[in-house]
Amino acid sequence: MKVLLRNCHKALCAAALLLAAVQVSANGAIGEHVNHLQDNLGKYTKEVNWIIERIDIMVNTYEAKGAKAAESDQVVDIWESVIFHSAIEVNYVPIYANIWQGLYGVKEAIDAEKPVAEVRAEQAALEQSLWQALGAVKLAAQYQQRGLLAQVKTTETLPTTLTGTLDEVKHRLDRVVAKYAEQLPEEATSIVHDTYLNLFEGVEGALIEQDAKLVEALEKDFNVTLPKAISGNGSVDDVRGVVSAMHTKLDRAKALLQKAEEERKDVF
Amino acid sequence: MQRRTFLQTLAGAGILGSLPLARALAAGATALSVDDLPPLEGELTLYLGRGEGGLYENVLEAIKKRNPKFTLNIRRGVTAALANTIVAEAKAGVRRADIFWAVDSGAIGLVNDAGLARPLPADLTGQLKEGFRYDNWSPVTGRIRTLPYNTQKLSADKIPDSVMALPDSGLSIGWAPAYASFQSFITAMRLLEGEKATAEWLKAMNKRGKNYAGELGVVMAVERGEVDVGFANHYYTLRLKAGKPDAKVDLAFSKNDAGCLVNASGILALSEGALPINFIRYLLTREVQSYLASEAYEIPLVAGVSPPEGLPPLASISPPQMDLTRLADLRPTLDLMRSVGVL
Repeated sequence: MKVLLRNCHKALCAAALLLAAVQVSANGAIGEHVNHLQDNLGKYTKEVNWIIERIDIMVNTYEAKGAKAAESDQVVDIWESVIFHSAIEVNYVPIYANIWQGLYGVKEAIDAEKPVAEVRAEQAALEQSLWQALGAVKLAAQYQQRGLLAQVKTTETLPTTLTGTLDEVKHRLDRVVAKYAEQLPEEATSIVHDTYLNLFEGVEGALIEQDAKLVEALEKDFNVTLPKAISGNGSVDDVRGVVSAMHTKLDRAKALLQKAEEERKDVF
Repeated sequence: MQRRTFLQTLAGAGILGSLPLARALAAGATALSVDDLPPLEGELTLYLGRGEGGLYENVLEAIKKRNPKFTLNIRRGVTAALANTIVAEAKAGVRRADIFWAVDSGAIGLVNDAGLARPLPADLTGQLKEGFRYDNWSPVTGRIRTLPYNTQKLSADKIPDSVMALPDSGLSIGWAPAYASFQSFITAMRLLEGEKATAEWLKAMNKRGKNYAGELGVVMAVERGEVDVGFANHYYTLRLKAGKPDAKVDLAFSKNDAGCLVNASGILALSEGALPINFIRYLLTREVQSYLASEAYEIPLVAGVSPPEGLPPLASISPPQMDLTRLADLRPTLDLMRSVGVL
C-alpha cells in the first residue's frame, strides 16, 4: 500500500496534466463531482463497499448455484452504475485499469466455471484494487483541497511544450491499458494511433536530434509492439508490460528534451 | 507610388509609427531586425494552428516578453479546424481572432477565399522572396518536399528527376499516404499534372510503396535500408542527421514538379489597424526567421537569412510555381486517393 501511495503521490504531483487531459469517459460524461472530491468521499466509500458486497453475493451464488445463477455479466453494470468510477478515472488511470482487470477476472473465472478458490482469488484482487483506488481518490481530495489540482476541464486542452506533450503521451498510454482491461481493444488501438499521430509525432522530430535510437525504439513500440500486444489477445498484464517499458523510454526522452530546451538559444 | 511617398503615407496613417522601421524599409527589401520595429501595444487574439513542437510557442513568448504593454490571447487547435471556425464565426457575424497563424497554406487559402483576410502593406510582402509574395497573407517559413535516399544503396544520380517516373524506376519506395504533408503533395500533383495522371501514379505507387504511419518513419526506414528512397518533408532528414551524423541518408530533389514543392506556414490579419500588421512584421524579422531555421530546420522566406544547415539554397532547387492557397482544395485529393485504394 505504501508503494501504491508513493506512486499516487508522484502521479498527483503531476496531476494537473492527468486531470486536464480527459474529459469524457467511455461510460458517459464525467460529473461535476470530480471537482469536489472531498465533499463526495463519503459517497465514494459507500459505493466501494456496495460494489464489494454485490460481487461477494455474485461469488456466493456461483458457489451455491453455479455459473448461470451468478449472472456474471452484471459486473459491468455494477461498476458503471457508480459515480466513483469517474473519480478514479480522472485521478489515477493505472488503478482504473486494475479495477477493470479485476472485474473481468471474476467474470471470466465464473464463465469458465473455475474452482471457487480461483474465483475468490480474483475477487480478492478486485477488492484490493478498489481499496487502492479509494486511497488514491482520498489523496487526490487532499491535494484538491490545497488547490494543487487543476479543475477538471470539460473541453480538451493540449500541452504546449515538448515535455508537457510527453506527460500527456504517458497518460494516454495508461488509458490504453484501461480500455484494454475494459475489453475495448478497438478503442485501445485507436488511442494508440491518435496518440502517435497527434502527440508523439510532434515531439519525435526534436527527440531524434537528441537520441535517434530512442526514437526508433518508440516508433516500433507505437506502430508494432503495442498494437500487436492488443490484437494478439494477450493478458492485460502483457499490454501493461509494453506500456510500462514505453513509460521508461518516455521518461528518458523527457529528460533529454528538458536538457535540450535549457540549452536552446534565445529568440531575440 | 514612389517608395518615399509610400512610406510617408504609411507613417501619416500611423501604420509605421517608428522612425527606425521607416529607415530600415527605405534601405531595401530584406529581413529587418527586431530593433527596427515599433513596440507592440494593445491586445490581439491569435488563432494558432499546432506547429513545430513548441518552437512557435517560444517565438510568441519572446515577442510578449519584449513588448510588456502587449497582451496576446492565443487559441490553439488543429489548423484546418481553426480555419473552419474562423469562417463559421464570420458567418455568424462575430470575429474573435485578429490574426491566424497556420502551419499550412491550404488553411490560409480557406480563410482568404472567404474574403476575411485584410490586405497587407506592400513593404511587408516585399520582404519575402520572389514567388512567396501574396496580397492578403504572408508565408512565415517554408518546407520542401524531398526524396530521402539510402546513401549506401544508391547515389543521387540514380534517382529520376521527375517524380512521375519514380514508380517505374525499379527502386523500393517508402511513403506515408495518410500523412497531411503527403496529401498536400498529391494535391499539388493533381493541380499540376491533372486527375488522370495522378490517379495512374497513385495506382503504380500503391504496388511499389511500403506504408509508414508518418514521414519521420519513412526517413528512418530509408536510413535502415528497408527501402531505397522515400517521400518526406526536408526537415526530418536534417534532424535525423543532426542526431546521427553518420546516418546513411541524404536528400535528392526532383525538378519543377510536385516532388519538390515548397509549402509554407502562413499568417494573415483578420482585423484592421497597425497592431496585427506590426505583429506579423515580428515573425518576418531576421531574428525569428534565423531562430526557426536553426532550431526547427524550417526554410526562411525573407531575403538575407540563411537556410538551415544541410539544405541547399532555395535558388539551387527548382520548385514548381504554384499559388500555395490552392492547396486548400483537399477534398478531391482524398476522394481520388480513396478511389484508387491508397487510403
